[in-house]
Amino acid sequence: MRTAQKQATRERVLCAAKDLFGRLGYEGTTIREIARQAGVSVGSVFTTFASKGEILSQVMQDRLDGLYAELDRVVPHLRGPTPDRLRTMFAIHFAFEEPHVHLFMAHIAATYDWTQTEAARPFGKTPRLQHIMLECLAKGVEAGDVDPQADLQGIVDLLMSAYAWTYRLAAWQGADAKTMTEVMDRQIGLIAGGFTRTTASVS
Amino acid sequence: MKHVSPNDVAGETRVKAPTRRALAKQQTRAKVLTAARKLFSEEGYEGATIRDIAAAAGMSTGAVFANFTDKSDLFREIMTADMSSLAEGMRDAATKGRNLEDALLRAFMAGYGFYKSRLPLARAAFSVAWSPDEGQVLRNLPPVVAQQDLIVELLNAAVERGELSQESEVKLRAQMLFDAYLANYNQAIFQGWSLDALQARARDQIRILLAGARRG
Repeated sequence: MRTAQKQATRERVLCAAKDLFGRLGYEGTTIREIARQAGVSVGSVFTTFASKGEILSQVMQDRLDGLYAELDRVVPHLRGPTPDRLRTMFAIHFAFEEPHVHLFMAHIAATYDWTQTEAARPFGKTPRLQHIMLECLAKGVEAGDVDPQADLQGIVDLLMSAYAWTYRLAAWQGADAKTMTEVMDRQIGLIAGGFTRTTASVS
Repeated sequence: MKHVSPNDVAGETRVKAPTRRALAKQQTRAKVLTAARKLFSEEGYEGATIRDIAAAAGMSTGAVFANFTDKSDLFREIMTADMSSLAEGMRDAATKGRNLEDALLRAFMAGYGFYKSRLPLARAAFSVAWSPDEGQVLRNLPPVVAQQDLIVELLNAAVERGELSQESEVKLRAQMLFDAYLANYNQAIFQGWSLDALQARARDQIRILLAGARRG
């Protein structure tokens, strides 16, 4: 009984949090407001989560599990040049996140919260996404279209900052998934200029 | 661009000597801004309240509101002052660059150097920059746009010199350079990276982002 009740509280909190973060952003959302909307006490929120950052991390993780399951299914079948494989991966991301761009921006904003507790995983601390990209690049090194000298982590960092930036187009200019994907495609093209192994550089 | 010191943001161009009242008002604004800067740094944007800012400045909340419409107005004022002097610093630094890569690196380093001593404020600013409403306002502040424009100018000059090819997608490339520059503040803020470490990383990123546009 107790466990069931605890579980119900947890779900209500996550549901309210998802709505509030998506509307008010990370800074604008307070634990008090989450508790109010979930119809529970502030104290019971804290028995489940240590911080605002942890609540958002849980909201994101629950959602992203679906995305990563899809990527796990698709990625092994991707063929073609590395930049194109990266493009496909990000296209899947944008299509997945399009209905929740403000929530995703809250996920990014949470990066800069210094009251963050250990269990919180804001954008940039989600190893899965970076791991997927690193694998894609490593595959390119094997296939021969990515320069083996290239700093793969540095490239991943650039992809991450380009990816994050693209969400602002959606939030502030009303860009849809298609537009975000097109912009990201061009950005990947520019970054690829720095890692693609061309015939000229193979001596 | 006019140089604005952090404590002189209220300074209007005056032809005549200011009246005593104008001077007092200016001093009040400066006091509020100093207190606000401290609280934003210590408590973050959301954590800092007008009441605490007023208390730290030694005045009533009414006196704060007589000078600033709200908290976002205060924050904008502080960011405008900082970004203006930073934009100028970046431009000065870039002129010493031997080539495009060097000019960009010097401009970025001017930024990291500027914020080295005020990382908590930078942290508050990034947090605001990703908020639904205020984010766009912050990103579109004239001196912030001036920093992005500087990068565009540097790239365009490099195209003219023949350092970069004509098809360099200057606008997109400039924006990506700027975003890479901004993203590195994360390492500075949370991992305590030194200026040397930031420089090495920024140099690598600049090289990657320019590689595809280099001629030859």
